[in-house]
Amino acid sequence: MRELNLNPIEIHLDSNHKIFALSYGKAPLSYLVMLIKAGSEKDPKGKEGLTDLWAEGLTLGTKKKSLEELIFEVEKLGGYLEGSAGWDFSLLLISGLEEKLNNLLEILSEIFYEPDFPFQEIEKTKERRLSNLLQLKDDPSKMADRLIWNMAMEGTPYAHPISGSLASIKNITLEDIVHFHNEIYPQQRSTLFILSKEVKEVLLEKTKDTLSKLITWKGEEKTPETTPSTPQSQILILDRPDLTQSQIRIAFPSLSRKDDRYYILKLMNYLLGGGGFSSRLMERVRSQKGYTYSIRSSFSSLKTCGTLIISTFTPTDTTYATFEEILSTIEDFTKQGPTEKELEEAKRFFEKSFPLRIETPKQLLNEIILQETYDLKFQDLFEEIEKLKKINIEEIKSIAQEILQKQKMQVLIIGNSQHFIKNFENFENLQLMPYKDVLP
Amino acid sequence: MRELLNFRRYILDNGLKVLILEDHGLPILSYQVHVKAGSRFERPGITGISHLFEHMMFRGTSKLGPEEFSKIIQSRGGIVNAFTTQDHTTYWENVPSDQLELVIELEAHRLKELKLDEESFSTEREVVRSERKMRISTTPYGAALEELFSLAYLRHPYRWPIIGWDNDLRNLSLKDCEEYFRLHYAPNNMIIVICGDVVPEKALDLICKHYGDLTPQECFHKIEPEPPQRGERRSVFKKPVELEAIFWAYHVPGIDSDVIFPLLGICECLSGGKSSRFWQKFVRAGKATEVRLVADPPPFWPKDPGLLILYAIEKPGIPISSLENEIEEEIRLFKEKGPTENELEKIKNRLKASFLRSLESLFFRGLVGGIYEIKLDGFEKSWEILEKYESLKAEDMIQVAEKYLHEDNRTCIMVKSISIEENAKFGLIE
Repeated sequence: MRELNLNPIEIHLDSNHKIFALSYGKAPLSYLVMLIKAGSEKDPKGKEGLTDLWAEGLTLGTKKKSLEELIFEVEKLGGYLEGSAGWDFSLLLISGLEEKLNNLLEILSEIFYEPDFPFQEIEKTKERRLSNLLQLKDDPSKMADRLIWNMAMEGTPYAHPISGSLASIKNITLEDIVHFHNEIYPQQRSTLFILSKEVKEVLLEKTKDTLSKLITWKGEEKTPETTPSTPQSQILILDRPDLTQSQIRIAFPSLSRKDDRYYILKLMNYLLGGGGFSSRLMERVRSQKGYTYSIRSSFSSLKTCGTLIISTFTPTDTTYATFEEILSTIEDFTKQGPTEKELEEAKRFFEKSFPLRIETPKQLLNEIILQETYDLKFQDLFEEIEKLKKINIEEIKSIAQEILQKQKMQVLIIGNSQHFIKNFENFENLQLMPYKDVLP
Repeated sequence: MRELLNFRRYILDNGLKVLILEDHGLPILSYQVHVKAGSRFERPGITGISHLFEHMMFRGTSKLGPEEFSKIIQSRGGIVNAFTTQDHTTYWENVPSDQLELVIELEAHRLKELKLDEESFSTEREVVRSERKMRISTTPYGAALEELFSLAYLRHPYRWPIIGWDNDLRNLSLKDCEEYFRLHYAPNNMIIVICGDVVPEKALDLICKHYGDLTPQECFHKIEPEPPQRGERRSVFKKPVELEAIFWAYHVPGIDSDVIFPLLGICECLSGGKSSRFWQKFVRAGKATEVRLVADPPPFWPKDPGLLILYAIEKPGIPISSLENEIEEEIRLFKEKGPTENELEKIKNRLKASFLRSLESLFFRGLVGGIYEIKLDGFEKSWEILEKYESLKAEDMIQVAEKYLHEDNRTCIMVKSISIEENAKFGLIE
């Protein structure tokens, strides 16, 4: 951090909320983010999508301004406004020209303290979301991502899409949103991030006022670890006869963010499929076999559980061969682990590429939002490299063996099944369904 | 803003242009090789070769195995990739600044010692066909957009997709690739950009050392100009989709025209952000899922006359065809009165902020310099971008709308939904 000359100002308020300010960036722009440490995992059953809709609802108008007036004001400042939920956090982001930073802060404050949640706009937003979901059904890749996530997270508070489903969005009422705003979010800790080419002292004083109206945060409830409840491996094939390419997703239960072995998992994922052409999956499935344009593994480590998902696509006639090649790559990787050279190169990648990860204010914001969400310090971001350096081959092998277990994998394939279904018939728990019957 | 794009230009004896921009903010740099080799330099029968060749550049050299180039860069903390457009192919590496010599050496090496063999070629061709399916065949409207371009252009090479027709991809040969490489990958047909933590003189010495011995060659390619459109063209594209859509394309000038700025202003006024007219009138009002008028901002705006594309995606229960008149009415209103004063201020600020936001990254700054140099023979033109946005005038926008956004200059495709069973009679989209 010292080499990069980053000197954030962190102000801890008596109410336990926080301000984080940093002069950063090349262009005369400002970014303000209000982070609330509660996300879509708080959605009540049957009303999935509530937190995300609440966050967008904040941007639909205030007591003083209609949606039209509010949005016009922000966009006239060269800005954009976004309210959205993630897992374990929600945020309100406003960005615009640096010369307008004071105005941006005033607008953010008004949105946060005086939202109106106008009934008509909420209803229209729900309708838009329903249309967007239908649009999404036309895209087998996006549908595959949504469906495998639900399969992987079954039995945990994360087992639904952040934006909700066709069924759940219809169930959300204005009262639910107002209740969330009055009862749920005030119980959470908030942090206001300011990243601007230059953050001035006078602005910080003003910012303190902005946060002064928040009620005192009383500390976090203990949340127990959760485990996906899917008992065993299953393969779900969704048949869409008009496709010439199949979507393949394979998911495994993985580690939560608080697990001490998080950095081992990070390195393991890079070596398996997160590291592009340096990964085993890319080497075997694309470079050697030419089955796909892209294959990758990615992991999500959340507050109480996690998952690792392998994603690819391949022409219909190579669907089974691709699936087999993935399993064979996993088997070799878990048996032998990475080579010494692979491991050293992966560590070097993380060490040397670090400045590239935080080059722009938006990139740095993404990193520090996650740090804050999982109760990590800003400095921890810079200590990751030292942790990665200490990891050895045995640790990688051991975590690979623990996570990449065939008997725990969830498989989803969307494609023209008549060309490959026979190859899968020997698998237990195989289910075939028409794609058209699945609702987003 | 000029300091963010203040490159130094050097030209080697063999015609290779080099742009260098110093910025020592972080210990990183972006290294880019821009080659005048995009789909506009292709011909029917070899469509997609520029992009396929881009893939072949990663398949090994006399010393390196397939994809080893990328692995080496990654092992030194870098990120590497390439992309092909209608007008150029760009290879890039974003790396820690102490890896500059390695990158220069590797990039020059693959130009001199590229290994093109049948095995790699067959593997990579299948990879590209898979990419084509990902981008075109399995997306809701990809194939319809392809048809829009081939209907809007009768002669100009922009009429075929960058990724190529599937049939051409199947028939391309290694010999075609060798020929393409010989014709286009000459030093006088390339621009190298280095942007970031670099000492220009040292970097230039390294470039001379590794690229100085490349031989220039004549790179001549005649581009068939597109004749003016003489009346509206319409077509229907049937496929199974949940939501029907319409796509309109208007012919507009290339990047060398100042008209692109008022055109971007019109796009911004009609569909930029939630305060835009289309969003308020159609999306917020629940009449459509999406309605947008879009163009690629500079430096991505095409070199030759391009297309401004308007698309509308239906809201379930409201046929998209019923919106056509309302959309036309919005365009007519714009032509009549232009933007309000408030809208004009918003348009200017949004366009400026969006461009400034992209300049936060060295990679993008390198692209602006390199692509302006390749398309307009001068990165200095990019200094004017913010100024052009700032000086937008309502009357210019009205005049430009009158000139280009009219029926005779328009090509329309309607995407109509059919059942899976009905789709079977058309066969699969490859």
